[in-house]
Amino acid sequence: MYADYAYLIVGLPVLAFLLCLFVGSRLPRGGGFLTVLATFAGLVLSLGIFSEMYPDKIIHQSMPWFANFNVGILIDPLALVMLLMVTFVVTLIHTYANGYMNGDPGSSRYFAEAALFTAAMLGLIYADNLLQLFIFWELVGLCSYLLIGFWYRKPSAAAAAKKAFLTTRVGDVLFMAGIILLYNNLASLNIALKPGEYLLQFPVIYAHLTQIPPAQLTLIALGLLGGAVGKSGQFPLHVWLPDAMEGPTTVSAMIHAATMVTAGVYLVARMFPLFYAAPYGLTAVAAVGAFTALFAATMGLTAFDIKRVLAFSTVSQLGFMMAGLGTGAAVGTMAVGVAMFHLIGHSFFKALLFLCSGSVIHAVNTNDMREMGGVGKYMKWTMYTMLIGSLSLAGFPLFTGFFSKDEIIVIAYEYGVAINFLPYIFLVLAAVLTAIYTFRMWFTVFTGKERSDYAKHESPSIMIIPLVILAIFAFGFGIAAQGGFYSYLDSNFGHYDVNFNELAVIGGHAAEETKLAGEPAAEPLASEAGEGAKAESKAEPAEPWYIQILPIIVALGGILTASLFYWDKVKKFDPSLVTGDKDPLRKLLLKGYYQHEIMTAWFAETIVYGSALICNVIDIKLVDGWLNWLSALVMGFAQHVRKVQSGVVQNYITALVLGVVVLVVVITMAKEVGLI
Amino acid sequence: MDFSHYAPLWGEALLTVLAVLIVLLGSLMKNSGKLMGYLSAAGLIAALGLVGSNLMIAKPTLFFFDTISVDALSQFFKVVFLVVSLLVVIASLSKYTGKGADEYFALLLFATVGMMVVASSIDLITLFVGFELASLSTYALAAFDKSRKNLEAAMKYFIFGSVSSAFMLFGFSLLYGMAGSTKLTVIASATIANFGPAALIALLFVIAGFAFKMALVPFHMWAPDTYEGAPPLVSAMLAAGSKKMGFAAAFRVLLVALMALRMEWYLAFAILAAITMTLGNLAACWQNNVRRILAYSSIAQAGYIAIGFVVVGKAYGLAPTTAFNGIPISPAQLGLAGALLLILGHALMKTGAFIGTAQVASMVSKNDANDPDDISNYAGLVSRAPVTALCMLIFMFALAGIPPTAGYFGKFVLFSSAIYSGLVWLAVLAILNSALSLVYYLRIISYMFLKEPAGPKMAEPKGYVVALVLTTIAVLYIGLFPQAFFDWAVQAAAVLLPQ
Repeated sequence: MYADYAYLIVGLPVLAFLLCLFVGSRLPRGGGFLTVLATFAGLVLSLGIFSEMYPDKIIHQSMPWFANFNVGILIDPLALVMLLMVTFVVTLIHTYANGYMNGDPGSSRYFAEAALFTAAMLGLIYADNLLQLFIFWELVGLCSYLLIGFWYRKPSAAAAAKKAFLTTRVGDVLFMAGIILLYNNLASLNIALKPGEYLLQFPVIYAHLTQIPPAQLTLIALGLLGGAVGKSGQFPLHVWLPDAMEGPTTVSAMIHAATMVTAGVYLVARMFPLFYAAPYGLTAVAAVGAFTALFAATMGLTAFDIKRVLAFSTVSQLGFMMAGLGTGAAVGTMAVGVAMFHLIGHSFFKALLFLCSGSVIHAVNTNDMREMGGVGKYMKWTMYTMLIGSLSLAGFPLFTGFFSKDEIIVIAYEYGVAINFLPYIFLVLAAVLTAIYTFRMWFTVFTGKERSDYAKHESPSIMIIPLVILAIFAFGFGIAAQGGFYSYLDSNFGHYDVNFNELAVIGGHAAEETKLAGEPAAEPLASEAGEGAKAESKAEPAEPWYIQILPIIVALGGILTASLFYWDKVKKFDPSLVTGDKDPLRKLLLKGYYQHEIMTAWFAETIVYGSALICNVIDIKLVDGWLNWLSALVMGFAQHVRKVQSGVVQNYITALVLGVVVLVVVITMAKEVGLI
Repeated sequence: MDFSHYAPLWGEALLTVLAVLIVLLGSLMKNSGKLMGYLSAAGLIAALGLVGSNLMIAKPTLFFFDTISVDALSQFFKVVFLVVSLLVVIASLSKYTGKGADEYFALLLFATVGMMVVASSIDLITLFVGFELASLSTYALAAFDKSRKNLEAAMKYFIFGSVSSAFMLFGFSLLYGMAGSTKLTVIASATIANFGPAALIALLFVIAGFAFKMALVPFHMWAPDTYEGAPPLVSAMLAAGSKKMGFAAAFRVLLVALMALRMEWYLAFAILAAITMTLGNLAACWQNNVRRILAYSSIAQAGYIAIGFVVVGKAYGLAPTTAFNGIPISPAQLGLAGALLLILGHALMKTGAFIGTAQVASMVSKNDANDPDDISNYAGLVSRAPVTALCMLIFMFALAGIPPTAGYFGKFVLFSSAIYSGLVWLAVLAILNSALSLVYYLRIISYMFLKEPAGPKMAEPKGYVVALVLTTIAVLYIGLFPQAFFDWAVQAAAVLLPQ
């Protein structure tokens, strides 16, 4: 019953978008309540659908679009958890935005764009084919451009929007290339499609993976990974994400923490069978993810802008998720469940952290942590909810982040046993740094002396209530959901005609799994054929005890380290002990590895300057010269025509007659020569 | 006498009676302009319903001694003409309300009937009569506001049109001389090609006559002047409606009667299409008058549509190479279907764009003595007349061929048919031209959205707004759900190119 209305999950936000766009300025608070209601209705519908399809149904609706393409809705466990998370988190963020954007002259534009963004993201999630997913993917990109540049009169915001758009565009081109390659490969198989089946539908793709040449699979996987890297801010296309903090904080929470950036991870999870079948596909994912996780965490250590700290943290956590998916090379589909669990948990606590930082910024009126300090005295609610978010992010035991992140580290260990230990080492180091930078931020903002004169009040309750709700989830989601979540998501690919044993042979994972199975206490991990009989990873004693508790030590050690440096009550060391302002390492981190210098200032400008130089020669000398000549010709021609128009229509007729004569001559000559 | 046999032609009959009635009523009643407008709109909607009830005729039905054929192709064009006419009438409701409005609406209806007759003609004489009915009505319409500019536009249109008609008639008489009949099917079986040079002359004279309406270079020279000088709503009718009549006539005559000469007209149209789209787009870049830009854009679009002839001439008889939705389609069919889709799309986009200019002209001319169509009047239009500006934005994107619009889909099918039939050079040229056309479409958009407003907010007359919004919805709908329109166009194409 609910499933019949699944299209409304996207339809209602679109309606809200139209209403806010056209009549929003006449409604109270720019029509923000419409956006909240539309998203909330989506949440209710998603819950209804969940109750209908749990535990073992999927929903697939489709209708022809044109030629060989269709539009359709596919809700399987993977899509469902994303739908629930996005509608839930975004409802809260929209609610909060009603307080945060109140009084902004462009608030109706904000809510219109935010509603369109929500629609695009939800459409991306339950698209049943890759083309539709791509269309919504691009729409998400467009909305992020509009929202990052929301304060478009601010030059830095306009520049950040442009940077985000162009950087993700690089990934999108690769993504599109991947889709075209995949389509061509599938089309060349001459598959006999049943009525209602279309080439780019996910079930059809899954079912025919084994027939595509492995080399092609790898190319396709790398193309899709390119798209995911762009959207999920992975190295080296992560440069747009920290800058994207120029938008309103609610935008950062919505787009750059909870939803849009997760689209890349979701894409890899959605196409997991393809990545699995592609030799080196998952290895590339693991490498990119693990490197990004550590790389971004180091930069989070030195940033002073509170939102930038969170942005680097997002990049780093997305790296964790990617690495988690990448470990699927060793552990199979279980990796999808683990990565998605972190994705969902992360969206709760990261949205919470962003909204808390927004609450602080709202009061203090600056993003710079050096001007905050002692805020906790005036903003108790914000302080404690943010503490919960920080503990969760740092992986403090029993908090959501503890269960989700540590599970990734544990399966990274298995990946290490089977293939390579580098991702594991990177992830453990990144986890230490995560705990340190998170609490550096929390202590700097909320404890200590007031370092500037700011408004000393708590935010309005419309902003606080979403914080509290998110805090409950940031704490409790991990304990409550972890067991059921893994087994539910493990069943995801069992709904399709996909044989992971065959894919493992193509992808060259068979050997790795024997290796794992050879471990003394290893679970029968090779049994990923989708029978759904996989035990929860928690119960696997595959790892020695010290591996199991290492993440706890890491988290606690990190928090302790941070408190020794930054909490005034127990402060033992000055940060300058480790790294002074002049210290090259610190400078390196502060400058973000000179990426700006290398990628923007040097690389981009060399290209821009170089191409400008070439353009100068080609454009001015060649093209312009030619165009000038041409325009002179056309203008001269136009001049003649103008003379004709002063009264003599004969010239028009002359042209007509001349036209016929020339055609007669040309065609006769062509026949003589034998052209036609 | 039983008239039910003529049911498929009731649409034409209704409009003819209505037009005569409007003339009669107009001479009896004073200040009946509004009534006439509503009558015309109602009549057109009814005619649309009558034509629509016979939309998918599998086997052509013939009337009047086999001179009129009602088939999927004729119904396709009739729907295009009726929709354009209806949109123009709706917009006219805000402009032609006073004295003389009865004549305006009657002429509009007569022109529509003429075009519908051409769409159905399978006989040269019937075709000529329909052609002239539409032409004479539009000559009068072009001068309707009686300003100096109107008169000049109409005069040029008339003289050029008369000469073209003479060419066409001469071509027809040659064909009659060779075949001994004016029926297209008889001409087709008369092995015209054996007559040597006379056949070529006849062909090119006929093409010249049609190319005048289609506004292909070098038969286009009247078009920019007339589109610029005529009343804007009449320009919409000319560019969107009567131009398509030229294509309807040319498809019938060339693909039925003169198929034997297809290598000749293939080459002729290859040259005409290439020159037309390039010159049209280049010329549009240098204009400052929006209606003139649209005129040149409409010439360029005619160049794209003419690719349909090139594809059919080149690929006629080739086996189906592509499958759309599982149904095999030959390149020639695809080319004709693409041309039809672009005709449908262009009719809507151009009507909308010209109604937009009419809207702007009507708003600014009250307080501005300058050229009301000058592009400077479009500066900051989005804050002066938001609905007009948003609709114009869609039309400009659609004309440039950006998805998801009707303009994109027509171009997509047409250009891919060119590639399938081995005309890669033409497809590349057309795509380069589409890129070039962005120069002037984006220029209009940037004026409307990025410049500081040229004046205060203006009231948008209701009739225009309704017509604009309807057109916008249609343009987007076709772009978003093209499958049904594609099937329809393929069916219409199958009338002339049975597989």
